[in-house]
Amino acid sequence: MPDWVQPVVDYILTEGLPNTLRVAAVAVTGSAIVGLLFGTLLTIRFLPLRALLRLYIEVFRGLPILVTVFIVYFGLPTISPSLRFEALTATAIALILWGSAQVAEATRGAVQSIPREQHEAASALGFGWVGRHAFVILPQAVRRLLPPFVSLLANIIQNTTLAQVIGGLELLEAAERQNERLTAPPPIGLGEIHSFAIFGFVAAVFFVLSFPLTRLAAYLEKRLVV
Amino acid sequence: MLVATYDLWGFVSENWQELLDGLIRTLKVSAFAIVGASAIGIVLGAARAHRVPVVSQFTAVYVEIIRNTPILVQIFMIFYGLPQLGVTLEPFTVAWISVMIWGGAFNSENFRAGFEAVPYRYREAALALGFGPRSTFLNVTFPIGTRIALPSSINTYISIVKNTSLMYVIGYSELTTTALNISNLTLETPEALTVLAIAYLALVWSLSWVIRLLESHLALPERS
Repeated sequence: MPDWVQPVVDYILTEGLPNTLRVAAVAVTGSAIVGLLFGTLLTIRFLPLRALLRLYIEVFRGLPILVTVFIVYFGLPTISPSLRFEALTATAIALILWGSAQVAEATRGAVQSIPREQHEAASALGFGWVGRHAFVILPQAVRRLLPPFVSLLANIIQNTTLAQVIGGLELLEAAERQNERLTAPPPIGLGEIHSFAIFGFVAAVFFVLSFPLTRLAAYLEKRLVV
Repeated sequence: MLVATYDLWGFVSENWQELLDGLIRTLKVSAFAIVGASAIGIVLGAARAHRVPVVSQFTAVYVEIIRNTPILVQIFMIFYGLPQLGVTLEPFTVAWISVMIWGGAFNSENFRAGFEAVPYRYREAALALGFGPRSTFLNVTFPIGTRIALPSSINTYISIVKNTSLMYVIGYSELTTTALNISNLTLETPEALTVLAIAYLALVWSLSWVIRLLESHLALPERS
């Protein structure tokens, strides 16, 4: 293998990969919590609340995620300096806004698919609204939510690359920095162009992360239908 | 400290010509990509549904690669990687080709599912009536299958429109790049972001409204 390969691979995997996984973990956890809450609240027949949640879902599902990233990273600080976030944090927040809208929409469908008798039985046993949803309805709905949730995880991992656009050091940005370093003339870099191999390697890393998840989602989907 | 005053109307009235040009470029890239992605989707989707050897396997690999790698990395491969192999494309070409390749993969899945959902007895009936395999596809499978695939393929087209915003990274001046470049000069960031949000939501929401309209119009009689 040529000499330039090892340092590039090391840098991408030690500097980029952990941040990609960290942002994805935060984003998917946040999306799950906010999305399950909003999706469950969406089943309440209270018009103003429902209209508000609908708006949230339609806005963040409708916007290109890159625009949401820009709104969080460039827009929020103009409202208040305390809303200034670092690039990776801003990306995680934007991904939570988008991901929670996806989860909320799926949760609404899953909660409504649980037969009414389950609600009635839980009420008869003395559960209130919160207890009924937390202990009876959601545990059943989650089974149905599992396939879309696994695909969401794959999507979120891929979309962490949006941090690159605002300079957050994740896989793609790490690769881009190495690409620039190698391209720079000799005192700094090598003056060699290896863009195809470098970005191809990044694509391969993402494929290894994402492929098992999309397969798992397809498998869970199939098992659910049968 | 510079105290920014929010003046959306001022921003739009001073820059409307540039913003409009950006919007038109977004629509142009989307249109090219949507036409291309439909062609790719129909051809490869049909090949997969009919298990055409070689083409089916190629399509499966193509779909898995595109689905499991970030589109931003795909754009980098085309914009920075291909020139190394001697293929240098203009930003506009990179823009529509990259979203077309991405959309084509999702569309071949959409159309495969659509063609496979056409009941087998329809095809049997056509064959029994003396249609050859090609005219069975063109007269029976294609019109019914594309109608079944319509909602999911329009969802892919919506994603194509949204993904054109990623051309910001290659500096192609579509809507997102245009609005942000203006705001970099004038510091009217909130105004630029508002314009972007309104423009994209208007585009996306009207397209999803078209889906609902088409769904009721084109619903197959026996499915409604």
